[in-house]
Amino acid sequence: MVRTGFPLFFRGRAARLRSAQRALVPAGWCRASRDALHHHHPQPPPLKRRGLAALLFTLIAAPAVAQTTPEQRLDALDKRITRLEDMNQVEKVQRAYGYFVDKGQWTQLSELFADDATLEIGGKGLFLGKKRVLEYMQTAFGKDGPKEGVLANHMQFQPIVDISPDGKTAWVRSRAFVMSVGGWGLPLYEDEFVKEGGVWKFKRESGPFTMYSSWKGWGHDALNNTWPDKFDPPPDLPPSTVYLTYPAYWIVPFHYPNPVTGKPFPVEPVGAYQAPPGTPQQAASLKVGRLADGTQPIAQPPRD
Amino acid sequence: MSRAVLAALALAVAVPAHAQSLDQRIAAYRHRVELLEAQNAVEDLQATYGYYFDKGLWDQAAALFIPNGSFEYGQRGVYIGQAHIQRAMLLFGPQGLAAGHLNNHMMLQPIVTIADDGMTAKGRWQGMVMLNQPGQNGVWGVGVYENEYVKQRGVWKISRLHFYVTAETDYDAGWLKSAIPMEGPSALFPPDKPPSEVYRAFPGVYIPPFDYKHPVTGKSLADIPQPPDDVVGRK
Repeated sequence: MVRTGFPLFFRGRAARLRSAQRALVPAGWCRASRDALHHHHPQPPPLKRRGLAALLFTLIAAPAVAQTTPEQRLDALDKRITRLEDMNQVEKVQRAYGYFVDKGQWTQLSELFADDATLEIGGKGLFLGKKRVLEYMQTAFGKDGPKEGVLANHMQFQPIVDISPDGKTAWVRSRAFVMSVGGWGLPLYEDEFVKEGGVWKFKRESGPFTMYSSWKGWGHDALNNTWPDKFDPPPDLPPSTVYLTYPAYWIVPFHYPNPVTGKPFPVEPVGAYQAPPGTPQQAASLKVGRLADGTQPIAQPPRD
Repeated sequence: MSRAVLAALALAVAVPAHAQSLDQRIAAYRHRVELLEAQNAVEDLQATYGYYFDKGLWDQAAALFIPNGSFEYGQRGVYIGQAHIQRAMLLFGPQGLAAGHLNNHMMLQPIVTIADDGMTAKGRWQGMVMLNQPGQNGVWGVGVYENEYVKQRGVWKISRLHFYVTAETDYDAGWLKSAIPMEGPSALFPPDKPPSEVYRAFPGVYIPPFDYKHPVTGKSLADIPQPPDDVVGRK
């Protein structure tokens, strides 16, 4: 699945990215197919035929229900209980990630990832594999353990968990609320999990930023998104999407459809490279979130 | 033929093998559903504690504990029993939130582990805190709860509540300019026991021990080393 948000000059790498990331967003198929297991809602037939259809349905369906053995009913029950347990466990893994970040437990944190997992935070680019996750954390933030005078809480809130029909893949949309010595921050997560040997692990963590500000607050200043060479180590692959953070915004695509209408969330072209260079759309995107003179401040409060 | 053998034969005839296995499956699933319900009940219990504590409803909050339950907040020491817990909470303000007070203690990010027998549980929570009193500036705080729960006569209750304050700061100044130290044990309402662990809040660092095992490796997190602290004397 090709992300519309991919920068043009990265499109040649889209295939590599796709295999590395296994499609950032499964576009809602998971929820739709999961629901199909339990609640099939066919379009109603025309009024005249509805009575006949209902009668036919009863005739066909009644023996089928009678033929359901207790074993089959228990199998179905087992599946539903397992799904609830899986949802709880996936939430725990996401929350444990947050508690490990809070206390700088990078080795423990990396153990939450599958061997071939990917990590992408802010605009830093993609890190491939569990070992690189650990290298990223320890190079960027120092050795394991909290440091005197440093607070870097990444509190994990508001999870929406979905489990694939086969029970082997899960997705979470959630957020971190960052309370740190540097100020405030709001990463968002669209993460994928895999069940290996009965254990849920991170398969892909993607944490694009919504907003970062100093302690004075987002009414006073805002930081830019990060970028691949802002700090060491460099990523294995460039960012999957180039986007701007507050005061601009990017709607991170939802892995699940609208829970009431059932319709997938439309994925709109976004980001600084949403349109070919030279087009009015691309020119406009470069000014969103920037100053009136077209410049974009780097890690400094914007001027009036 | 002995009576026992007859009884066994009768049972074997009355309960075919496949039906027996159905019963076992139903019993196993019932147990798993009970564990899921227990998790929800514990989450509700802790959330309710937070809503009561926010509004200074000390009587309601203390009633959530078992009779010999314990309450420990920061370095204030350990209070044991509902009456002492309710009195300890008066250190945070009068019963019923006083005018101009803000006492929000949010209960977030739960990792709840129910024991296999479904009778006890442990939980780690993220505790964001927003405080104010008349004539003072607002305070931002944060900490970690490591709590224990027990099911008595079908009702989940708090057996041990321990809030490890991580950091508190002045609303305007922020962590770089303001680090509010924790309160010590009260002379007015002294605790039943001294603090169970001596540590400093921010700018000091301390790792509240994890009650749960690593969710992927399954290994204990008990031996994660504490960071050194020159003031407390921890190397």
